[in-house]
Amino acid sequence: MTKETPKELFDKNFITEEQFRKIDLVTSGKIVSVFYELRSLLYLGVMLFTAGAGILIYENIGDIGHQISIFVLGLLTIACFWYAFSRATNYTNDKVKSPTPYYDYIVLCGGLLFISFQGYLQFQYDFLTDNLGYSTLITAAFFFFIAYRLDHVGFLSLAITAFASFWSISVSPQKWYSGDFFSGSHLYNTAIIFSTALAIIAVILNKKNVKKHFTFTYLNFCALIFFVGAITGLFDKEWYGIYLLLIYAGCVFAYFTARWEKSFLFLLYAFMAAYIGTTYLLAETILANAVELWSIYSFASCGGFIYFIIKYRNHFKQEA
Amino acid sequence: MNSAYNESLVYHLAVIKVSKKWWKHGFIEKQQFENIQQAYAVQLYNPNLIIRILLFIATLFALSGITVFLGLIVAEMNEDVIAIACSTYGIVSFFLLEKLFINKNHYKSGVTEAILYHSCGFTIGGLSGITDFDNMHVILWSCLIVFSFSAIRYLDLLCTLAATVSFAGILFFEFYNIGGIFQQIIPFVFIAGFTPIYFWVKKLKQRINLRLWRNNFLMIESISLLFIYAAGNYMVVRELSVSMMNLEIIEGGDIPFAFIFYTLTVIIPMMYLYFGIKKKDMVLLRVSLIVLAFSVFTFKYYYSLGHPEITLTFAGLVLIGITITVMRYLKIMRNGFTRENILSEKWGNMSVEAFVISQTMGGNQSNVDHPSMPGGGSSGGGGASSSF
Repeated sequence: MTKETPKELFDKNFITEEQFRKIDLVTSGKIVSVFYELRSLLYLGVMLFTAGAGILIYENIGDIGHQISIFVLGLLTIACFWYAFSRATNYTNDKVKSPTPYYDYIVLCGGLLFISFQGYLQFQYDFLTDNLGYSTLITAAFFFFIAYRLDHVGFLSLAITAFASFWSISVSPQKWYSGDFFSGSHLYNTAIIFSTALAIIAVILNKKNVKKHFTFTYLNFCALIFFVGAITGLFDKEWYGIYLLLIYAGCVFAYFTARWEKSFLFLLYAFMAAYIGTTYLLAETILANAVELWSIYSFASCGGFIYFIIKYRNHFKQEA
Repeated sequence: MNSAYNESLVYHLAVIKVSKKWWKHGFIEKQQFENIQQAYAVQLYNPNLIIRILLFIATLFALSGITVFLGLIVAEMNEDVIAIACSTYGIVSFFLLEKLFINKNHYKSGVTEAILYHSCGFTIGGLSGITDFDNMHVILWSCLIVFSFSAIRYLDLLCTLAATVSFAGILFFEFYNIGGIFQQIIPFVFIAGFTPIYFWVKKLKQRINLRLWRNNFLMIESISLLFIYAAGNYMVVRELSVSMMNLEIIEGGDIPFAFIFYTLTVIIPMMYLYFGIKKKDMVLLRVSLIVLAFSVFTFKYYYSLGHPEITLTFAGLVLIGITITVMRYLKIMRNGFTRENILSEKWGNMSVEAFVISQTMGGNQSNVDHPSMPGGGSSGGGGASSSF
């Protein structure tokens, strides 16, 4: 819509001629950037390659060529990390700029290959299977190290996922889909404690200025694990009052996080969790025997919420 | 037909948004942005994406309350009455959308989208319900009309997509219903139909009086390209012929005009890619990458060696290899293509001369004169001349 805008702004003297010429080069399409295209392709390539390599090894366990392929896989993993560490700058607490545009993806490739490699070792040698928990913990520690040392947010996600699975919490969309988010009984309590503890650590790290740009990823995981845990606890009926209070407490925290991190994603989580919680409470109490009130309830509650958001719109702006 | 939104207000909002982007990336000064913001001030309510999603979900919940309530009233009635009631309700909610929200300065606020889709759904569902859902003509035509109306009047991209797809559906079913030879030529009808649409929309996109709809045109443009490709794709034609036209392919046999479709499967992505690069057309370029992958998949599907994991690994390796090569090749700007993100501070703070020189002369020369040029700098990147 704004293709002619630079000219218009220049004519109206809002921008200088030099600025106009520069902006115009971009908006008129004389210069085009394939920044995102190349990145997406590279990401796709890394995903295809690591997935393919992983399957390749599982399918051929026991074959003659197998030892060789494991060896090659190990070499590739080492090569990726060697490349990453040889180009890495010294550790800082701030955001680090990648030395080359494909640097992050090579690190990612190394990490994903490492997972295949470790999975294979686990399969092949019993001592790892017997100590599955510890091997997960070591993986998590390694990923945390990579994430901090090479300043890689993707690895932070992998590390948190691995660390959560050490506590038997599965943080993957497939698990949510099939409904066995917490495979054991009362694991939701573990989830609530885990996410709370992790959130506290994340906030402390942020206050100490250690990798401030990681805070969002931490808190995002925490919020999701916490709310899913608390809602699962809620549906277990026994102590639903306590879990409802926990949900509300989480919402308050999420609300302040949303303001603090300037990300309304947390507000979205809080809304969903609070709505589910409150609806559950009402379903258990006053609405239990009054089906006809449901439609009025959903209209009034959501209508009220929409009104609130719009009324206090200035409160929900990205910048103050 | 006119948009329900006030053109100059929407345009002003767009100007503010784009100049904010320029300011954030160092192309203009903060003071300049503030001046622009003042001069183009608007009252439109257009919250950020997450708030939009939030409002969208909340509105859907709220609407479900209303529909369940109304549903209970009409539930006992005859089916025709329900169908008519649904379409009336849909049309009425279009009016309410304009009166209650759009006229109160809502612009794509999440609330508007939720009400819009819900209105579309009820109108189309009601119209199809009148014919007991078995008249394909009515369903497709009501889809096309309602979605086109929503796309044009409310500038909605999803409705634009739906309208284009409904149009394709009509094209398909009308020819399919005639039967005989007309079923065979459906692919060519698609190519002959969507090619002019593509060029026409590209032209419309340039017209300044239609600038409100530029994103919608962009949507139609990309979908048309995809349809042109799909109509010529061997796999699409073969599978549709088998499943819908009861075509039986005997052992060693093939679909009619198979060689044409094989050729098109190869040539169309190549053409998209070539013209995409030549004309620096990002729509063509992006679509070409997607359809290229699909072409590879098509051939692998029929001529597979039976080792998907090897294919996967190999495809990944090739993709990584090609991408890194291109990234290295575009270390300096070639032909106006750059691997850097142009809307970034690095570009914003650079002097325009370096910018222009790098664009017109290519890498080598500008490296010497302007060591600060992005990406060009440290390692001289030889052999630039080949592409100029």
